[in-house]
Amino acid sequence: MSGKTIVMTSGKGGVGKTTATANVGVGLALRGNRVVVIDTDIGLRNLDVVMGLENRIVYDLIDVVEERCRIEQALIRDKHAGELYLVAAAQTRDKDCISSQQMIDLCRQLEGDFDYVIVDCPAGIEQGFRNAIAAAGEALVVTTPEVSAIRDADRVIGLLHASDIRSAKLIINRIKPEMVRQGDMLDASDVLDMLAVDAIGLIPADDRVITSTNNGTPVVYDNQSPSGREFARIAARIDGEYIPMIDPVEEQQPSSIMDKVRTLMGIARKASSHV
Amino acid sequence: MSETAVDNQELIQAFGRGSLLNIRVDDDAPLEAACRALREHLGRSRQLYTKGDVAVDIGRRVLAVEQQERIRKVIESESGLNIARFWCEPEVLERERERITNLLSLQSAAAPEHWSNGHQAPIKPVENEPAPAEPHATGQADEPGYQAREGISPGAEGDGAPALMVRRTCRSGEALTFSGNVVVMGNVNPGAQIAARGDILVFGALRGGAHAGCEGDASAVILAMSSVSPHLRIADYRWQDEGRHDTSGRSNKDSTGPIIARVENRAIRVTPYLKNYALDHGGNPNER
Repeated sequence: MSGKTIVMTSGKGGVGKTTATANVGVGLALRGNRVVVIDTDIGLRNLDVVMGLENRIVYDLIDVVEERCRIEQALIRDKHAGELYLVAAAQTRDKDCISSQQMIDLCRQLEGDFDYVIVDCPAGIEQGFRNAIAAAGEALVVTTPEVSAIRDADRVIGLLHASDIRSAKLIINRIKPEMVRQGDMLDASDVLDMLAVDAIGLIPADDRVITSTNNGTPVVYDNQSPSGREFARIAARIDGEYIPMIDPVEEQQPSSIMDKVRTLMGIARKASSHV
Repeated sequence: MSETAVDNQELIQAFGRGSLLNIRVDDDAPLEAACRALREHLGRSRQLYTKGDVAVDIGRRVLAVEQQERIRKVIESESGLNIARFWCEPEVLERERERITNLLSLQSAAAPEHWSNGHQAPIKPVENEPAPAEPHATGQADEPGYQAREGISPGAEGDGAPALMVRRTCRSGEALTFSGNVVVMGNVNPGAQIAARGDILVFGALRGGAHAGCEGDASAVILAMSSVSPHLRIADYRWQDEGRHDTSGRSNKDSTGPIIARVENRAIRVTPYLKNYALDHGGNPNER
C-alpha cells in the first residue's frame, strides 16, 4: 500500500485547520480507508481534544522521533471511525524538537501502511509549518471569507508552490449565507478568484461544530449538520469521487412560498431603509 | 588575537592573524544549523572575542541580504566583534551571475551590464531551504511556471530594456525586483511587491504594491487591467489611495477597468486607460 500525505494548513490561526483535519480524517475512514492524522502543533496540541482521544495518549510524535517508542505504540486508535489513528503532538516541547527530515521519514513509513496520512499544520509560516509541509505531496488550505485569512492563505499558497506542492486545494470555512446575500461577506467566487486555486469544499458556518468539538465527536458523524455533510463530501472528493461543489448560499435558499414572501419583504425593508 | 578553534560540530572554523579574525562557515550546513553553531561557539569563547574586526568568508554559498543580516546579528549580539565585511572568492559571484544569466536566458546585451553594478542583481541563495523572508524572490527562477522570455529586441521601437514575463499570480509576501520592464499575466495580490527599473504591465488585477522606474526613471508607467492597489510608486513619487478602504471586505469586487499611472506635474496621476488613450497622447503613453 502506498498512501498519500496531505497537509492541512492556513497560515492564519483559528480558521479551522484542526477541526477540518479531524473531520476529513473521520470522513475518509468512514469510507473504508486506513487513515492516520498527525498533529504537528507541538506545544499547542488540540487535535486529540477535537477527536476526543486526549485520555488515550501514552506516546506522542516527539517520543517517536526521539526513539523512545515504536511508531505503532504512538498510533492512537479512534473510538468510532474504524481504521483511523492519531499521532498526537507533544505538549511540553516545541517546534524545533523535530526536523523536516524526521517528518519526511515518519510520513514515508506511515504511507506504507495507510491510505492517507493527514498532517495538521500549526499556524504561522515558521519551523512548524516547514516541518508539516515537508513530507506532503498535496495540501488543503483552509480559509474563511475574511480579508485577513485570505491574505494569509495567499502567502501560504505561494510558499507551498515554492516548495513544489502545486496541488493546493481550498476549503472555505464558516461561510454565512445570510451575510453573503446581504453583501456583507465575500462569497466563494470572490475568494477563489482572489486566490486563483480550486476549491474542494465550501463549509457553512454551523454552531454544531462548536458543540461537537467540545464533545470530542467530529461533526462529520452528524448527518443533520450542513457542515458535517460538506466535510463528508470533501472526504469523498479527496477519495477521487466527483461531487459537484455546492455553494451554501444557494443550498440554503428558502424554499416555501411563505419563506420567499418573507425574504422579499426583508429585501424590500432593507431597500427602503437605504433610501 | 591569534588562535585556532574548531567547533565540535565542525561547522565553524575560526582562525586569525594579527588583528584580523577569520570565521569560516561550513558550506553544506543549512543556514539554521550554521547560525546555531556560530552562536554556541561565540558563547563558549566570549572572553576571547571581546573586540576587534572580523571578515566572514561565506564560502561557496550565496546569501540573500536577509540571511547576511542574520549572520551579522548572531555575531554582533553574541560577541564584542564587529563585522568588517562579508567575503567570498570572486569565482563564486562570477558563477552565480552566470547561472542567473543562463536562467533568465536574456539575449539583450544590456542585462549583464546592469547587474555588474551589484545591487540590482537578483542574488539567489543556492541552499535547499527557502530564505525566511522572500521564498519567491529566491526560489522562483527554478519553478517551471516562472520563465523569463527574451527581452524586447533592441531593433525596431523598443528601448532595448529586457522584460520579465511572469505567467502566474503574484502572491502575498512575494518581492520581485527586475532591472527592466515587468509584465505580469495574472493578478498581483495584496502583500506582493513588484519593483521594475522600467514599466510595469499587469494583465490582471493589481492589488499589491508596484514601483515602476525604481531607479529614478520618472517616465516609467504602471498599466493594469484593473487596480485597487493601495500604493503605487513611480521613481521617487508615491501615490496612496486612502478613500477606497471598504470595511465589508469586498474591495476586490469592484473592477476599475484598465488604468494607467504616470507622473504628471510632479505627482502620480491614475487615469482610466481608455480606447483612445494612446492616440490622445501622441501615440506614446510615456510622452508628456
